[in-house]
Amino acid sequence: MLTLTINGLSHDVDVPEDMPLLWVLRDHLNLVGTKYGCGIAQCGVCTVHVGGKPVRSCQLTIGDVGTRAVVTIEGIGSTPNGAKVQQAWMEAAVPQCGYCQAGQIMSATALLDSNPQPDDSDIDAAMAGNICRCGTYIRIRRAIKNAAAKSA
Amino acid sequence: MTMKKAIGIVVAAIAVVALGFSGCLFLGRDPMSFAGGSTVALAAYQGVDITGVPAQLASADLVKRGEYLTHAADCQACHTAPGGAPFAGGFAFNMPFGTIYSTNITPDKQTGIGNYTDAQFLAAVHKGIRADGEKLYPAMPYSSYTYMTDADALAIKAYLFTLAPVHAPARQDQLSWPFSQRSLLAIWNVVFNPDERFRPNTGQSPQWNRGAYLAEAMGHCGECHTPRNLAYAPDNHGKFAGAPTAGWRAYNITGDKDSGIGNWSDQDLFSYLSTGHANGHGGAAGPMGEAADDSLSYLVPDDTHALVAYLRSIPSHASDLPRTVKTAAPASYKEGVAAESNSRGEKIFAGACASCHDWTGVSPVTDYATLTGVRAVNDPSATNVAQTVINGVNRKTVEGTIFMPAFGEGYSDDDIAAVANYVTARFGAKGANLTGKDVADLRKQAAQQSKETPNG
Ligand code: FES
Ligand code: FES
Repeated sequence: MLTLTINGLSHDVDVPEDMPLLWVLRDHLNLVGTKYGCGIAQCGVCTVHVGGKPVRSCQLTIGDVGTRAVVTIEGIGSTPNGAKVQQAWMEAAVPQCGYCQAGQIMSATALLDSNPQPDDSDIDAAMAGNICRCGTYIRIRRAIKNAAAKSA
Repeated sequence: MTMKKAIGIVVAAIAVVALGFSGCLFLGRDPMSFAGGSTVALAAYQGVDITGVPAQLASADLVKRGEYLTHAADCQACHTAPGGAPFAGGFAFNMPFGTIYSTNITPDKQTGIGNYTDAQFLAAVHKGIRADGEKLYPAMPYSSYTYMTDADALAIKAYLFTLAPVHAPARQDQLSWPFSQRSLLAIWNVVFNPDERFRPNTGQSPQWNRGAYLAEAMGHCGECHTPRNLAYAPDNHGKFAGAPTAGWRAYNITGDKDSGIGNWSDQDLFSYLSTGHANGHGGAAGPMGEAADDSLSYLVPDDTHALVAYLRSIPSHASDLPRTVKTAAPASYKEGVAAESNSRGEKIFAGACASCHDWTGVSPVTDYATLTGVRAVNDPSATNVAQTVINGVNRKTVEGTIFMPAFGEGYSDDDIAAVANYVTARFGAKGANLTGKDVADLRKQAAQQSKETPNG
C-alpha cells in the first residue's frame, strides 16, 4: 500500500511500484482530467506537477513519486498561477479539440511558477514538449503572456 | 660494405623489430599478469573453490549450475539477435573489415550444436575450433573462455542442451580478403590464445581469484574494455582502459580518478554491476546494458563483491577523457554552458528531452534519467550519447523497466548530432563536435541489419 498526496489530499493505493503515475491517476483514482497520449514522454498531454515540477506522468513510476506532492489539472485551479492561467485560457478561448490542454495548462503554470515574466524564448523552452495536434500554439502563447500580465 | 652485408643487416634489423613487436603484442596477451606473484595449477591451489558456482548453488543439479555459469559467461547477449530466439545466433558484429554473425548454440542438430560432443564443445570454447575443424573468429571470446575449467564449460553445455532446439542456419559472414580466410587464424591463435586454464594467484586472496575468474574466464570484460592491438587482440598493456566497441565506447574501468572508476565507491560499483545503475554515475545502456541485464545481474552478491575486489586491483590507466562534471546545470536554459547558442540542439532538447532530463540534467522523474555525473555525457566524442538517442533504452532490470524512447527513426543525423553536442556541452565536461556524417557512421557500426554492407 502506497500513500500519495494529490491535490492536497492523501490517497492510499494498492498498486505495483512500477505502475506509472498516469495509470494510477486515471484508472485507480478516477482523476481522468490528465490524458494519455503517446505513453513515451513525447507529447506532454499527461503532464502533472510533482514536487512543484512539471513531469510526464506516463513515465514516472509510482514508486519514484515518493513523498512528493502531486498536483493535477483537477487541482491546479486552486493555486494562484493555475487560476490565472485557467482564466487567461478561457479569455483567449485557447482549446480547439481540447485533448492536449490539460498538459498545456500544467506546463504553462509550472513556467509561471519558475519564471513570472517569460519572454517568447522562455515559452518555447518550457512548452516545446507539449504538442497540440490542433495547432493552438499561437493562442497558448498569448494566454501565457496574458496570465503573466495578471500577476504583474 | 658489400651489398650482401647491407641486406643482411637490414634483414636482421627487420627481424629484431618484428620480434620485438610481436613480443610486445605477446606480452600484452596475459590479462592477469599485472598482479605479479606466482600462480599455480588449479588442482594445486589450497583453499576455497574459486571456479564453478557459488556456495549456495553447490548442491544444485548440473543444469542449474550450468544456467548460472551461462549467465556469468554472458553467452546470450552475443548469441541472440535483437528480437530473435535466445541463443539462436544471428547477432551482427560490424568490424572494420566486414561483418560476422554469431551462431546458433541451441541444441538443434542441423543448425545448432546438437551434435557437439563434450570434446568438440571444449575445443570451441577453449581453442575456437568448430566441430567441423574450421576456426572461429575471435569475436567468440575463446581467448578469454580458454581460462574456463572443463567442468564449468561442460555445465554450460549441459544447460544449453536443455533449451528448445531452434532451426536457425548461420548467416553468411561478409568479410574482405584476407580476413575471410579462416585458416589464417591459426597464426592468430598461436600468438594470442594462451590456451590454458585459469591459474590461481597464490599472492592474492581467494576473493580476488574468484573475481579474476569471473572477470576473465567468464565475463570476458576485457573483450570490450581493453583496447585492441593491430591484430585485433586485447592489448593488456592498457588493460581495462576503455575501447570502442560495436559503435559504442566501453569506458575506462581502471582506478584512474578522472576517467576511470577511481572515484566510485565500492557500493557504487556493486550497484552498477548488479543493477546496471549507480546513483550519480548514471546507468548502463547499449552493450553494457545487455551485459547487466543478461549476465551481471544474475550473479550472487558474493560474486559481485569479488568482481569489485578484482576491479580495484587493476593498475590505474589514464585515458583521454576529461574529469566528470558532478554539478548540475542551472535551472534556466538561459544560463550555463551552451546557453546563448539558441541552437538546433537546444530546440530539440526543449521539445524531446527536457521533460524527463530537466534543464539541470537532474531528472525530476527518475534517477535513471539523470545526466549529471554520467560518464557518457562527459565523453567529448558523444559516442554513447548519440547511440542512446538513436537506440533509446529499453532494459528489463530487477528494479523494473528502464525506458527511454529511441529517436533514431524520427530524427535526422543532423538533429541527433546537434542534440548530442548540446547535451555534452551543457551537462558534461566538454561539448562534442559531432556531424551528421559521424552519426550516420555510428548508426552503421551498431546496426544489426547490415546485410547491404558490401565487402569485396
Ligand atoms: S502520454 Fe505522457 S507524454 Fe505523451
Ligand atoms: S487542442 Fe486539440 S490537441 Fe491541442
